[in-house]
Amino acid sequence: MSDSLPLPIQLVWLIPLYGFSGMVLSLPWASGWIKRNGPRPAAYLNLLVTLLAVLHGSWIMRLVQQGGPQHISFPWFEVADLQLRIGFDLSLTNLAAVELVTFLSLVAQVFALGYLDKEWSLARFYALVGFFEGALAGVVLSSNLLMSYFLLEMLTLSTYLLVGFWYAQPLVVTAARDAFLTKRVGDLLLLMGVVALSAWAGSMEFSDLYRWSAEAHADGRLSSLGATLLGLGLIAGPMGKCAQFPMHLWLDEAMEGPNPASILRNSVVVTAGALVLLKVMPLLRFSPVVNTVLLVVGAISAVAGGLVALAQVDLKRAFSYSTTSYLGLVFIAIALERPSLALLLLLAHGLAKALLFMSVGSVIATTNCQDLTELSGLGSRMPATTTAYLVAAAGLVGLLPLGCFWSFGLLVQSLAPVSPLFAAVFLITNLLTAVNLTRVFRSIFLGAPHPKTRRAPEVNWLMALPMVSLTVLVLLTPLLMQRIDPVPGIADFSWIVGLLLVGSGATGVVIGTMLPLDQFWSRSRLKPLRAIQDLLAADFYTERIYRATIVAFVAGLARATDWFDQIVVNGVVNGLGRLSIDSAENLKLSVSGQLQTYVLTVIAAIVLLLSGLSWLGQAGIS
Amino acid sequence: MPLLTLLVMVPIVGSFVLLLWPGSPPPLRMRNVTIVVLVFQLILSLVMAGLFDPAMPGMQLQELHNWVPNIGLNYSLGVDGLSLPLVLINAALTLVSAVITRDIDKRPRIYFAMLLLISGAVNGAFLAQNLLLFFLFYELELIPLWLLISVWGGSERAYAATKFLIFTAVSGVLILGAFLGLALLTGSVDFSLTPLDGERLAMGSQLVLLVALLIGFGIKIPLVPFHTWLPDAHTQASTPVSVLLAGVLLKLGTYGLLRFGLGLFPDAWALIAPWLAIWAAISVVYGSLAAIAQRDMKRMVAYSSVGHMGYILLAAAAATPVSMLGAVFQMVSHGLISALLFLLVGTVYRKTGTRDLDVLRGLLNPERGLPLTGSLMIVGVMASAGMPGMAGFISEFLVFRGSIVAFPVATLISMVASGLTAVYFLLLVNRAFFGRLAITPPSDPVADARLDIRLAAVAPRETFPALALSVAVVVLGLVPVVLGHFSEATTTALASGLGGVG
Repeated sequence: MSDSLPLPIQLVWLIPLYGFSGMVLSLPWASGWIKRNGPRPAAYLNLLVTLLAVLHGSWIMRLVQQGGPQHISFPWFEVADLQLRIGFDLSLTNLAAVELVTFLSLVAQVFALGYLDKEWSLARFYALVGFFEGALAGVVLSSNLLMSYFLLEMLTLSTYLLVGFWYAQPLVVTAARDAFLTKRVGDLLLLMGVVALSAWAGSMEFSDLYRWSAEAHADGRLSSLGATLLGLGLIAGPMGKCAQFPMHLWLDEAMEGPNPASILRNSVVVTAGALVLLKVMPLLRFSPVVNTVLLVVGAISAVAGGLVALAQVDLKRAFSYSTTSYLGLVFIAIALERPSLALLLLLAHGLAKALLFMSVGSVIATTNCQDLTELSGLGSRMPATTTAYLVAAAGLVGLLPLGCFWSFGLLVQSLAPVSPLFAAVFLITNLLTAVNLTRVFRSIFLGAPHPKTRRAPEVNWLMALPMVSLTVLVLLTPLLMQRIDPVPGIADFSWIVGLLLVGSGATGVVIGTMLPLDQFWSRSRLKPLRAIQDLLAADFYTERIYRATIVAFVAGLARATDWFDQIVVNGVVNGLGRLSIDSAENLKLSVSGQLQTYVLTVIAAIVLLLSGLSWLGQAGIS
Repeated sequence: MPLLTLLVMVPIVGSFVLLLWPGSPPPLRMRNVTIVVLVFQLILSLVMAGLFDPAMPGMQLQELHNWVPNIGLNYSLGVDGLSLPLVLINAALTLVSAVITRDIDKRPRIYFAMLLLISGAVNGAFLAQNLLLFFLFYELELIPLWLLISVWGGSERAYAATKFLIFTAVSGVLILGAFLGLALLTGSVDFSLTPLDGERLAMGSQLVLLVALLIGFGIKIPLVPFHTWLPDAHTQASTPVSVLLAGVLLKLGTYGLLRFGLGLFPDAWALIAPWLAIWAAISVVYGSLAAIAQRDMKRMVAYSSVGHMGYILLAAAAATPVSMLGAVFQMVSHGLISALLFLLVGTVYRKTGTRDLDVLRGLLNPERGLPLTGSLMIVGVMASAGMPGMAGFISEFLVFRGSIVAFPVATLISMVASGLTAVYFLLLVNRAFFGRLAITPPSDPVADARLDIRLAAVAPRETFPALALSVAVVVLGLVPVVLGHFSEATTTALASGLGGVG
C-alpha cells in the first residue's frame, strides 16, 4: 500500500467498521444501562454511522472512477508459514455493491423506525442490524477468501440473532435454529475448502488463488478429484447464503423475524452470497462437475422456488421463495460465465425485492396480519403501498421495461445460442413470478375489504418516505444499469427475445388473474391437484425429509453414543471399581498379620516389576 | 529475584497463611485475602510475560538448584512459549474462581487455602523443567482438588470425587512409571528435559514408555475412553471448581502430552502419530455426539470439553509449526471459553435451582429472566462453536490448517465435529434461553409449570468475571497476535524438533 493514495481510500477499512461501531454504540441502550428517554438514540446513532458509510463509499467510488481500482491490504496474523491478511478490493463492482448494501441498510433502518415503533427492544434490533451491515459491507469489499469466510460466518450469526429477535415465540425459535444450522452446514463445507486452499496455495488473496489454481491445474498438482471436492466446498457457502436448493429452507422460515431485516435478507444478503460465488468462480473453472452442480442447483431453485411460492399463503414466504428462485437464475448466469450480466440481475433484483418487502411490511404493520386469505381490498386504502408493490412487481417481472426486463433480455439473448434449455428456465421463472405477483396483488389489494382491512390507513411517514424513495429508485433502475454497463447498452438483445419475455410475463399475469382466489376453493377437491398443491405448499416436504434423514441420523447417533457412554464405558469403569472393592473385601479376610507375608508380597512385586523392565530394556536393545 | 519461584511460592504461602490465620475470621475476609494473593500472582505472571523474550525458543528465566541429586531430582524452573500462556490463564482463572465464590459457608478457610494450593502446584507443574519435579507438582494439585469436589460438591459428590481420585491417581502412576522406566532403561538418573534419540534408547522401549505417558495424560485431558470421570466431576463440583477444572487443570494433560510425550520421544511420536490422529478424531466426534444427547447443561459443557480437547491431540499428532501453535491457542481459548460457559451455567443454576434443559425455558426474558447471562451465553457458545471474531475460531483454524497437511481425513472428521458443536450449543440456547420464560418440571408440566416466575436479578458486580472473560475471548479472536507473539518461536522449535512428520 503506497502512502500516495487519497485518504478516503486508505481509510476504506472504516466502511465495515461503521456498521460494527453502530452495534457497539447501541449497546448501552440494548443492554438496558440507559433507560431514560427510550431506545431511540441507538437508532439515530446507527442511522448516522450508516449514512457515513454511504457517503464514504460514494466518495471512494468517485475516486476509483477517476484513478482506477485499488487493492489495499493489512497484515492480520502472520505466523510460521501462515499469512493471514485483511484485504479490500476496491473495484467499481465491489463499490457499487457496497453502495447498494449501505444504502438499502439505511433505507431499511428508517423504515424500521416506523415498523418497530412500539418495539420494546428497538435498540437491540439496531445493534444487530449494525453488526449485520458491517459484516455485509466487509464481505462485499473483501479481497481474500479467509476474510470472506470470516465475515460470512458473522453474517450467519447475525442472521440467527435477527431471525430470533422475537425469541419468545416458538416458531421463531425453530426458524432461528434452522437458519443457523443450514447456513452453518454451508459455512462448514466452505471452511473445509478454505483450510485446504490455505494449506495448498499459501496465500488467501483471491488474485493469488486464481494464479495458483491455474498453475496447479497445469502441472497436475491438483487432481481432478481434489479440484472437484474443493470446488464443492467453496460453492457450499454461497449456496447456503443464497438459499439455494437444498439449503433453501432457512430463508422462508427466517420470515418469522422482523420485516426490516427481511428486506435486507432478501435483497442484499443473497447478493453478498452471490458476490462471494463470483469471487471464487475462477477457482472452479477446472472442475466440470462443480459447474454442473451449480447449473442443476440454480435451475432447480429457480423453477421449484417459483412453483413453491405459488402455493404459499403467508405474505412474506410467498416472496422469500421468489428470492430463492431469482438467485437460482443468478447461479445459472454465473455458472455459464456471464458475471457482468449476473451482477446486473443482482442489482435489479436487489432493489425491486427490497421495495417489494417494504410494501409487504407496510401491509403487515398496518393490518397486523400476513395471511393472504385474510387480506383484501387494500388498494384504495393504502395508495403509496399499492404503488410500491406495483412498481416492485414491474421491476421484478420481465414485462414492463424496468430492471429485470433488461437483464433478463440480455441473459436470454446471450444464453439462447449456447444453452436454450437454461434460456427457457429464465422464461419459465419469469412466468411463474408473474403469476405469483399477480395472484398476491389480487388477493391483498383488490376485492372487497375484509374486517381486518376495512379501516386500514396508509403507513406513517417514517415508513412511507423510504418506500416512496425506493419506488422512485426502482423506476430509475434502467438508467442506473445503463450507467454501470454503458457498452453495449442494456437493450442489446433482439426483438424476438423481448417478445418472448413480454409474452411469458403477460401469460403469467393472465394466469395469475384467472386463478381462483376464493378461500373455500383454494384447496382443490380433485385429489391429484390437491396433492400437488400440498406438495408445493409444504415446499416438497423438504423439512420433513430433513427431519427423517439427517436430523434423525445425527440424533440417533448422539443417542447411541450416549448409551454407549453410559452403559459400556461407564459400566466398565464402575465394574472395575466394584471388582476392586470386592477383592479388597476378600483380601481383608486373608490378612494373617504376619510380617513375613507382607515382605514376601512386596518383594515379589518388586521382582516382577524389575524383570518386566529389564525384559523391556533387552527387547529394546536387541 | 527468582521470579518463577515466587510464582510457585506466592499462592502456596498464601494457602498456609490462610490455614494458620489466627482466630476464626469471617469467610469474606478469607476471600479477600485469597483475592489479594491471586492478584499478586497475576501481576507476577504479567511481569514474567514482560521479561519474557518472545524471539527465543528455549527456556527462559531459568532457575536451577540441586535438591536430591542422587535420584536426579533438581529444583529447576523455566518458562517458554508453551508454558507462559498457561501460567497466565492459571492466574487469571484462579482469580475468577475466587471472585465468583460468594456464598461459601462450609469451612471457608480450607476451601480458599486449597484453591491457592492448586494454583501454586499448577504453576509449578507448568514451570518445572525436571520430570520428577513436574510429577511432584502434578500430584500436589490432586488432593486439594479431590477435597474441593468431595466436600463442597453436589449430592453425588462422593462417587464423583472417588472416581476422579482413582482416575487421576492411575494417571499419576502411569506418568511416574514412565519417568522411572526412562531412568532405568537409559541407565541414568537424568530427569532433565532432553529429547531421546534412537542411540540412547531403542524404539521398542520408547514406544512402551510413550504409550504409558499417553494413557496417563490421556486420562487427565481427558480423551475417550478415559473421560468418564470428567462429566461426573463437573456435575458434582461447584461452579468455581468447575471453572478451575475445565480452564486450568485439564491443560496439565495436554501440556504434559506436548512437553513430555512429544518433547522427550520425538521419534516414537512420529511413528505413532497417525494413530494419535485417529484417536483424536474419535475423541472429538464422540465428545460432540455425547454432548448432543445431554439434558444437564453442565454435562453438555463437560462433554464439549472432551471434544474440544481432542483437537489438541490432533494438532500435536500433526506437529507442524502451525498446528503446534494451534494447540497452544486451543489450550488458551478452551480455558477461557469453558470457564465462561461453566460460570454462566453456574449463574443459571444459582438463580433457577436447575440445569435441566427440559425444565428451563425463555431465560432471556428481559424483565424477569437473565438477559445479560443469556447474551453472554450466546457469546460463549458461539465462541465455542468456532464463530470468527472470537478465540475459538482462530484456534480451530490453526489446528485444522496445520493438521490437514499431515492427516487430511482425521482433520476433516474433526471439522465435522466442530459443526456438531454448533448443534448442541444451539439446542442449549434455544431450549433454555429462547421461548417463553418458564420452569416446567417434566413430572407434571401442566400442574407444576411455573410461568409466573421472577428470577432474582444478577447484580452487576456478579457479571463482571463473565464480562471480563467474554472480552478476553473476543480480543483473542480479533487480535490473535497477542498470543501468537509469545508462543510462535517455541512452537516452531517444538515442531521442527520432530524430524519425521514436520
